[in-house]
Formats: sequence, C-alpha cells, structure tokens
Amino acid sequence: MAKTYDYLFKLLLIGDSGVGKTSILFRFSEDAFNISFISTIGIDFKIRTIDLDGKKVKLQIWDTAGQERFRTITTAYYRGSMGIMLVYDVTNEKSFENIKNWIRNIEENASADVEKMILGNKCDLDAKRQVSKERGEQLAVEYQIKFVETSAKDSLNVEFAFYTLARDIKAKMEKKQEASNPPGGRTGAHQLRANEQQRKPTSWLSRCSVL
Amino acid sequence: MNYQSKANKYVCPNDRQLSLRAKLRTGWSAARSEPPLSKSEREAIAAVVKRAEKVDEVEARRVGRLVARLEGMRRSAQGPAPRTCLLCGETSRLLAPLRTCAICRNSACPKCVIDTPPHRSSIYSREQYTCILCAETREMWKKSGAWFFKSLPKYIMPDKKITGRYNDTELAKTLQEAGPSSNEGKTDSEPGSPLSIHPPSFSRQPSKTDSRKSVCLSQDHEWNETDILSHGVSGLSLHRTDSLTQRPLGLKRTSSKGSAYSIRSIRKDMPKTMTQIERPPTIPDAGFGTLEIKLAYDNGTSSVAVTILRARGLIGMDMTGLSDPFCRLEILPREGSYSNRLRTKTVHKTKNPEFNETLHFFGITESDLDSKCLEIVLFDDDRYGCDEMGSATVSLRECLKCPSQLRLALSGASGSEPTGPRLLLALCYSTKKRALVTTVCRGAELPPQDSNGYSDPFVKLHLDPDPYHKKHKTSIKWRNLNPIWNEEFLFETRPTELSRQNLTLTVWDKDYGKPNDFLGSLVLGASSKGRRLKHWMDCIKFPDHRHEQWHSLTDTQHL
Ligand SMILES: Nc1nc2c(ncn2[C@@H]2O[C@H](COP(=O)(O)OP(=O)(O)O)[C@@H](O)[C@H]2O)c(=O)[nH]1
Ligand SMILES: [Mg+2]
Ligand SMILES: [Zn+2]
Ligand SMILES: [Zn+2]
Repeated sequence: MAKTYDYLFKLLLIGDSGVGKTSILFRFSEDAFNISFISTIGIDFKIRTIDLDGKKVKLQIWDTAGQERFRTITTAYYRGSMGIMLVYDVTNEKSFENIKNWIRNIEENASADVEKMILGNKCDLDAKRQVSKERGEQLAVEYQIKFVETSAKDSLNVEFAFYTLARDIKAKMEKKQEASNPPGGRTGAHQLRANEQQRKPTSWLSRCSVL
Repeated sequence: MNYQSKANKYVCPNDRQLSLRAKLRTGWSAARSEPPLSKSEREAIAAVVKRAEKVDEVEARRVGRLVARLEGMRRSAQGPAPRTCLLCGETSRLLAPLRTCAICRNSACPKCVIDTPPHRSSIYSREQYTCILCAETREMWKKSGAWFFKSLPKYIMPDKKITGRYNDTELAKTLQEAGPSSNEGKTDSEPGSPLSIHPPSFSRQPSKTDSRKSVCLSQDHEWNETDILSHGVSGLSLHRTDSLTQRPLGLKRTSSKGSAYSIRSIRKDMPKTMTQIERPPTIPDAGFGTLEIKLAYDNGTSSVAVTILRARGLIGMDMTGLSDPFCRLEILPREGSYSNRLRTKTVHKTKNPEFNETLHFFGITESDLDSKCLEIVLFDDDRYGCDEMGSATVSLRECLKCPSQLRLALSGASGSEPTGPRLLLALCYSTKKRALVTTVCRGAELPPQDSNGYSDPFVKLHLDPDPYHKKHKTSIKWRNLNPIWNEEFLFETRPTELSRQNLTLTVWDKDYGKPNDFLGSLVLGASSKGRRLKHWMDCIKFPDHRHEQWHSLTDTQHL
C-alpha cells in the first residue's frame, strides 16, 4: 500500500495580493523561488508531508488570491482549515494594516478552533522596509497570535513557520483529546457524584464500546 | 487594494446578512461590481477543485481504514467477564494482575492495556491504564480529524466502492438483540459475551443502502470538468436554494449560507450545459440511486410537463434502511426571487418509489428551454425536518429531444449545515457516568414572538422512554434570538436502551402571565431519520466522545 500518513492538517494562506503567499508556499513545497509575480487565480493548494514527533503529518496548504473578486470562493475554504497563516509584506504598509481586516475575516468565517500565525514576508528587502519587526511583534501580542518574519526568497523561517503552525495544531488536538476524557477521571463541572455506586460490570454493550 | 474606501464591501457577509438580503430581494451578487470570472479563470479553479477531490478521496479511504480497524478490534474482543481480560480473555495471574481501564472501567491484562501518562493537571498521580480498545477509539478520533470537525468526517470503507457510514439496520438489530435492560448483570455470568453470541455488528452488506454519507465524494465524482467550467463560479454559495435541506416544508426561506466545499452550489442556477447534456441518457449510478422522468413542452400553453415516473435504489434514511421520498422540482435560474417550486406526493417506506405524477410549470418560453434547467431534489419526508437524499439537474432543452424519457443518476446531498431556526447540540454517551450527556450549546435564528421583536428562549428536554422520567430545562436567555446556553444535562441510560430511546427538545419563549410560546422542536433518536439518526448513532457508536451538530427546529409541536 502506498505510504500513508497519520494526520491530515488543512492550512490556509491569506493576505493582500502580492505579499508573497504563493512564493512562501512554493518555497515550502518545492524549495524554490520565482522572481516573477503570477497572480493566483482564486484558489490553489500544495501538499507536503512532514514529520512531527514521529508522526507523519500531511499538510494540505491552500493558497488564496488576495483579490476581492475571488473572495466568495476563498472564504469557502476558511471553515475547513485547522491553521491559517496571515501574511503581510514588510515593504508594504497597507498590507500590514490590512492584517486586522483579515483577522476579522477569519473570525467571521473560520472555525473558532483554528490556529493562526502572522508572517511578515520579504524581510530580505531591508532597504525598502516600511514595517518594523517591532510593529509586527506588537500586533501579534495584541491578537495573541504567533509571529515571525520570513523571506520566501532567502528561505528564511518558512520551514519554521509551517512546522510551528502544524505543531500548534497537533498540540491543540492532544489537548482536546485529553479534555474529552481525561485519564485522571476528572471531568468538568457536571461530573456525577462518586456515590453513583460502583456497580459490578454490567452488560458488555453498555461498557467499553457498544459494538 | 484600498480597504478604506471599500470598507463596507470588505467583510464577507455572514449568514444572517445574506438571508436578510435574500428577503429584501436584493442579491448579494447584484451589489458586487467586480467583473464575473472569465472562462480561463473558471477552468483554473475547476482544475484545482478536481485535484482537491482526489486528496479528499485518499483521506476518506484512510479514515475508512481506521474505522474498519477499530471495528475489527471490537469484533474480536472477548468482552468483559469477571477476572478475565476483555480483549484476549486471559485470566488474572499472580505476576500479571489485570488492570482496570480508566475509560471503560473494564479489566484487561497487561498486554492489552497501555500506560497512560498521568493527566497533567491531575492531582492523582497514580498509574493509569487504558485498554487498547479505548485507546484505539481515541486515536481514531484524532487521526480522522473528528477532534476538529466535531464529528467523524466522511469515509470510504476498504474494499468497497462506496460504503456508508454504517449500516444502521445492522446496528439496531445487534443492539436490540443484546436484550432489554433486564440483562443487566446477567450477561456477565453467561458463558461467552454478548459479542460472541451476536457476532459482528458491522458486517457490511455491499448493498446500496449503505451508500449514504460518503456523500460528497461520490457526488464530486459525478462532476466532470464541463460542469464546473460552464457554470461559472462567481455565484458560489450565494444563490443556494436548498432551503429545504433540513427544513420543514412549511417555512419558505432562501438560504444563502456558504459552506466550505459546497462546490455543488456552483451548479445551481447555472442554466447552460447541465450535467446530463453531454452524457448519454443513462448515467452510471453514483450510489444515490436513479430517477426516471419524462419531459414535454407545449408551446400552446407555454408549459413544461414533468412526469416523475420512479426512482430506484435511493439511500435509506431510517433505522430499517427505508425512506419516505418525495421530489421537489424547480426551474432554475429563478426570475428575481420568485420561486415556483412544485413537489410530488410522498411515497412511504420504500427505496424504489413509483411516483407516476405529472407536474406542470407554466410561463416557460421557448427561449427559456435553452437557458433554463430543471432541478429535482429528492427529500425524505419527516415531520422533524426533511433530509435531502439526492438531486439531479437537467436542461430544459431535453424537452425537445425524442424520446423525452430520461434516467438520471442522482448525486448526493451537499451535507450542508441547516439554516433557519436551529439548535446546536452536543451528545456524548459517557461510559463512566453511564449517562447520555446532552449539551444544549446554542440556538440560532429563533423566531421572534414578543412585540419587541425578540423572544426569551429556553429549551426543555426529555428522553423517551425514560424509566427515571427526568425532565430538564435550560436557563432563559432574555431578548435573544441567537442564545448561547452551553448547558449540560445528564440522562442515565445505557447504549442498549439508547438505541430504543428518543430525545425530545422543545424551545419556548418565556412569557409571564400567559402560556409560553412554542418556538420549535427537535427529536433525535432511534425513530428519527437522516441527520438526526446519524447524530444519534454516532453517539452510540463512539461513546465518550462529544458529537456536536446543528439541527433545524420544526415549527410543529409533536408531543
Ligand atoms: N524579495 C522578495 N520578493 C518576494 C518574496 N516573496 C515574494 N516575493 C515577490 O513578490 C511578488 C509577489 O509574490 P506572490 O507570491 O505571487 O504573492 P501573493 O500574491 O501573495 O501570492 C513576486 O514577484 C515574488 O517574487 C520575498 O520573500 N522576498
Ligand atoms: Mg498568489
Ligand atoms: Zn489481554
Ligand atoms: Zn477501555
């Protein structure tokens, strides 16, 4: 059988047009960079399987067009996403300001459980920089989202960013699982009293599993 | 892009805004100034969507393998018996004492348990064990993505073309055979566990009944490139007309809820090149059955006569694997917001209904024949909300062809979330508490009953039959049509009984000095159907996991 994977995580890249979403994805999936700007049409995705703590995690990463005219299509992909990268261009003030709008867009369209990360891309272009790293960090703190500056061109922090997001999703998954039936046997507020007599095991069907 | 100047356009409208717009008869698309997508753009997007479908299928097969593996383990387990391992049947020995599973509390030998690291926040630091069955169930929950999607995603069982989520009939039988609650304590002393007496509960017959729930996949396969290309994508999720999905028929509403992967909605309203046109009259069955119809156009009266002859091999919606199908017909695209929907009668308790009913659409011009199409959606008639069973679309041009009798393959329901008045409900059968933990999470779009345009909603719930006669009530959320309760209620019961019980929820508007107004009701359980039955069965099948789902409320009170 073809080699399989343990988990499928669906990720999404959003941000203004031209900030480098497609380049970041190209770098991560193909380890290459293209200087020319080919505007993404609507949506696209790439696959890469990574290894996290011995588990094979297949990442399906959706790239979106930043343009308004594709918005209906792109927002349709928010809901199924477990992680979202918010990308801005450090040489473009406007794209940074718009991060707030993109966050609002996530709040309205994505699952409440979605993990997020902010990327300040093109950090190789120091001469043209309009947004300082500090401002990026500050925004991230404000929204309680992780942040890193990247360069798709120089392959800086791109791997790190995706691994971090994937790791955060995995951690959340583990946490959710623990919360759903903690081995300690203590659950939320509505735990029935222990005086719910420790009856002897009854029907098998009523126990470990129904089937 | 300058967001400042477009500030009000930037935000993607939420469902509520969209449904308001729908009511105001102003389309969202009308408000947009962007040029529609070009042909090449649509082609590019269609290609991506197709590629994604392949990924989805690989994933559905992987999840199917996980499900099969777990079911295999359950099948081969010995079942609990005093002082023996529930998995391998080994008896307790001095050097290898049996452990107790922290989740199901059954005994298992050291080979059949895994050590669980103590819960981080736990004050108990003593060793914990989980039997491999419980461990596997948890693992499956993670690996399938159910932890995120809050229910098991669609899957395809190994070695089957399309296999349903489960065979409810089989499940029901096994559960019923397992005997009434009086078997409490009895089964333990019996030689052999109920499992060995009633072997595999999930042996799957490769029947078509099973073909539900892998819905999206097979539906997607129905697609060929031209479908997507010729339909345009600009209307994605904006013209959805499937208001009947999960809705009582009495309430007409145009839903505009967008949902991820609702590619199907692209197809709607797009008149040209419908699925059937480029295809031979008989299309391979995609697992959702077929529909035979006759079309005739009369230019004297400018009418189209649609004869719905019969359907074959429909998916089963109730516990017995049967359905109560009827067809809803509509000519698309609509002119304005005027809808002329027609429906057939319901044929009860069948998967192969004979409708033999002719319905007429008037006011169809000859040029309409070229530009419009007929959409037929099959629903399962249920007083608690009609579930979609499949649909087909055909160009009106087919009227002009001879012979005009067509056999259409139905494609699966979109699986979209319900709209209109609805409740978000979480069910979890807790093996530890031996209770059905029901969380009334929230309500949405509840009807206003008070003169101030609001209601003061609360929910009453009870299980039926319930030997304990427990009745629960949520708190009242004042002046709120989208209340958030997140209140949890316990019903002591066991899975064997659950398979015969129904959970009834009614939503009320609190009024002082006069009787409370009824806002809607919902019944989940053994005698429910479709989505509601699936939710119930998931809860029984995967205990100790929270299954969260939206359900439409019906406006009729069945008590
Ligand atoms: N110098 C530099 N240029 C970049 C970087 N990332 C993207 N670009 C360039 O920015 C332009 C737009 O990139 P693209 O990935 O298409 O942006 P998208 O619209 O967000 O997908 C292209 O010309 C890229 O070559 C980067 O990290 N450094
Ligand atoms: Mg791009
Ligand atoms: Zn054992
Ligand atoms: Zn167990």
